Amino acid sequence: MNICRKAPRSQNITEKVKPEHLALLVKTEWQLSYVTPLYQFRHTQLKTYARQLSAFIAAEKQQGLAVEVGGLQNTFKVSFSVLQGLAETNDDPETVLIQVQSKPMFARQEDPPKTVWSGWLSCINGNPEYLQSLPKDFTCLPLFCSKGAEGLSSLVKSWLQRTFDCCFGPLDINQTTLQWLAALWTNCHMETNIQKLKMIWTLPVVPPLQVTYTVDSDDALELWRSTRESSAEKSRGAEDEVCIDFSEVTRFMQGLMSHFYRHFRVDLSAGELNQVSSALGSAKLNGKIKISSSRYLISIFSLLTECALLKMPI
Amino acid sequence: MDNLAKHLLQRLMRRIPASMLQSTLDKWGRLTAEKRKSLDFTQSKLTITQELVALCEESELTVKHITELEMIYVTENPNQGMWHTFQLLDPEDDAHSVELMQFKEQFKSHLSELKRNVSVKIKKHTDEAVWIRVAWGDGLSRPNHLKATYVVHYLQTPYVFVNALSSKNKPLLLQALTLSTKHQQIKAANLSGQKLTALRDLLMRQYQQVFPTKYPSPLPESDQSISKLRIEKVQAEASANRHRMAGETFGDGMLPALQSAFFQLETKFKDPTNEAMTQRDEPFICSVKFSSSNLLESLRHCASSGIASTPVTPLLSSIPLKGRNYFVITDNVPNA
Repeated sequence: MNICRKAPRSQNITEKVKPEHLALLVKTEWQLSYVTPLYQFRHTQLKTYARQLSAFIAAEKQQGLAVEVGGLQNTFKVSFSVLQGLAETNDDPETVLIQVQSKPMFARQEDPPKTVWSGWLSCINGNPEYLQSLPKDFTCLPLFCSKGAEGLSSLVKSWLQRTFDCCFGPLDINQTTLQWLAALWTNCHMETNIQKLKMIWTLPVVPPLQVTYTVDSDDALELWRSTRESSAEKSRGAEDEVCIDFSEVTRFMQGLMSHFYRHFRVDLSAGELNQVSSALGSAKLNGKIKISSSRYLISIFSLLTECALLKMPI
Repeated sequence: MDNLAKHLLQRLMRRIPASMLQSTLDKWGRLTAEKRKSLDFTQSKLTITQELVALCEESELTVKHITELEMIYVTENPNQGMWHTFQLLDPEDDAHSVELMQFKEQFKSHLSELKRNVSVKIKKHTDEAVWIRVAWGDGLSRPNHLKATYVVHYLQTPYVFVNALSSKNKPLLLQALTLSTKHQQIKAANLSGQKLTALRDLLMRQYQQVFPTKYPSPLPESDQSISKLRIEKVQAEASANRHRMAGETFGDGMLPALQSAFFQLETKFKDPTNEAMTQRDEPFICSVKFSSSNLLESLRHCASSGIASTPVTPLLSSIPLKGRNYFVITDNVPNA
């Protein structure tokens, strides 16, 4: 994983991406998975895929596979669409959104169908060397975000696996990534008020102890700035060139933990960081992410794309 | 049976878990044994409720009787909702001789002077706790029995536990309590939680305390052991010391099931490796919340396992020693 990365900049992406698409992505908690490159996936065949997936879900239901979405007589309608504008580089394929809508069989005509499951496949700022090294027929959309009934998630993944000969796996957000997010979000406080930096640790005692450490955003930013100033390698070029080194992230976290230790004489590094959140979003160890502001969507999902690509078998 | 009584009974039945219905109704004793036997507890709760309402109507029971039932249920199952602790201060000379009848009369009289249309029920529980149920009305409306406040007080102790008290009624209740217990003041004790029994046990020290001793084990004989055995011995001693200090700080055996502690920190940042932050005048504002299904046991385990350095910091030892779980720490008052 990159030990050096650019500070996330607030980007107004409402020019690039339709606001209604952005509204689907933000302020929602997504479960993350990684997926290996898709074989012979065509962005032009989305209507066909939607039909095929609908049929697949219906067939699995016939076989008695329980899909826990209220009511016994639901019909499911699937739609595939492109979320244009999220792809950053020329090598990034466009993001694909899959939605499953449901309508009880005996609903009235005018009742709108409810979206009961959504998921999207994307690749944002994917490593160009890796993307260019893939054989021609493969489309790399390594980041899979899903929300909705677990049964439907399994069905969708199952269909994607057999149709595009790919593999899914859980994308846990590890300690390193959580620490990156804590530092990156604090850095964002220079442009956008993050309100508070909240971190949740669990300590391995009996019964398990949860520690919720919430820092005022201005104070967190000052601490962050002080760890950056003391960094010998800091580039003092234009703001755009600012690169953040992981050693600065470590120093920032150590500062926070030492302040904690001074008061409680408890070593937080003996435990595990489970969750980091701020007004910009939240990230959990079990692979759940929520982005509250579209301004940093690209930055955060670039980081997650990187995590997903690290999981590729090759 | 009027509509309010029916509604109250239906609401109450939804609260009481199916497994506790029979025993609670038995303790209530307002229905004859015959009527109680006629209830089939294997049915759905909805059906049982309907039958119970019918039986209560037959017996011409009123709101007063239903609130009795509620009080029995809450008294037997106090670990719900959020309890806040208050401490009575500056007792008058005769405070220690206040006994139950006197307290009951005084409390009811003071409270009704402060607010009209309050309905008060006071009962002494088997463990000497005095339970008070207050339904609040005002000059214009009848007491609201759906949102009653519960108060628990052990006479001769300074502690009062309160559940479901609105900020509007808080000053009235606190004043009535202060006057009827013959004290001059009452203040928030900074101890809250869902489990009344844990709060009570913590304050009343009703658990196994360990008293510090100067010689925890027989004096060791001089040892001629070789280096490796020495290291093991030192490790074992260190571990034994940690366990002992953990026990002395938090207690031995089962500890009251306190579930959280909250610290608001407003102290300066001091870190020798970070000059810039250490030189700041302003405090570093942050808060820490500890949560666990049994916080004291978790903290004790932190101390005995070395995750928390021993001796345990006063911030954490204040929880069992001072019986509180809400703290504001500033540089001026490190052990607020």
